[in-house]
Amino acid sequence: MAKKGGPFERKSKVEAEIPAASMADIAFLLLIFFMVSTTFRREQDRHLTFPRADATQKQDEKRKNILHVWIEPDGQVYINDRLVPMDMVADVVLPLYRDSDRRLLISIRGDRDTPYRFINSVTEQLREANAVRVFFHTDLESRLTRERR
Amino acid sequence: MAMLQRKSRVSDDIPTASMADIAFLLLIFFLTTTVFEEEKGLSIVLPEAAAEQVEVSQKNIIHFLVQPDGAVVIRRGESQAEQVVAFSQIEGIMRQEISNNAEIIAAVKTDPNAPYGHMINVLDELQKASAQRISLQLWER
Repeated sequence: MAKKGGPFERKSKVEAEIPAASMADIAFLLLIFFMVSTTFRREQDRHLTFPRADATQKQDEKRKNILHVWIEPDGQVYINDRLVPMDMVADVVLPLYRDSDRRLLISIRGDRDTPYRFINSVTEQLREANAVRVFFHTDLESRLTRERR
Repeated sequence: MAMLQRKSRVSDDIPTASMADIAFLLLIFFLTTTVFEEEKGLSIVLPEAAAEQVEVSQKNIIHFLVQPDGAVVIRRGESQAEQVVAFSQIEGIMRQEISNNAEIIAAVKTDPNAPYGHMINVLDELQKASAQRISLQLWER
């Protein structure tokens, strides 16, 4: 520390504080960034291994019009974090389909090891609920990884 | 001594003029690098439940029978001739079929116990071959 009356005394008297004027701007920028980029998870992840496909395409539909139907390898179906018995799927989807103004797009999120009979039961139920616009959630696969398989 | 004192007085405060630029750079960096969880997959439109049964001529159908072990059997129309193929061959076969007959319907019949992933592999190949008319069924024997 500088001695009193020493050559550095003046300096510490003038500038002892951190400039805080721009802090607000930085904070606002961060705030805006997080506000814009945050999308809340509506449901918890089920840790399934999705099948891979080359022809995977991005689905252009508003997030609120997409309903996730999770199918676990043992045939359990989850919609909006609730376990739905297989024969009740149509009853659960139908009101949601009506609320969405008939624009509901179903994302079938099945584990790749799920026996196909469970997937078939779900699509039959969806047909019953008139929700015929579906897509099978897949991960994009590059040609290289396929050739290695 | 006088020179030293002058210098330290000038460079005393933290330069704040560039703060905004730094903040903007950070903002742009995050904007460009953020990856959103997007909705992606293979889309298909299911037939409606009330849809009337449409009789399709057998010559317009090509069956892909998916077995639990991942083998795919192709059966064309009425002929009982079977052809066992690997997933990677399906795209070429389907392109050939479409160029021969634009009305062709690909019927994917999957064994109830076959893993879902195998069906997706076949569907993937069909969509790569830009097949428009695809039917998904359970293979009941």
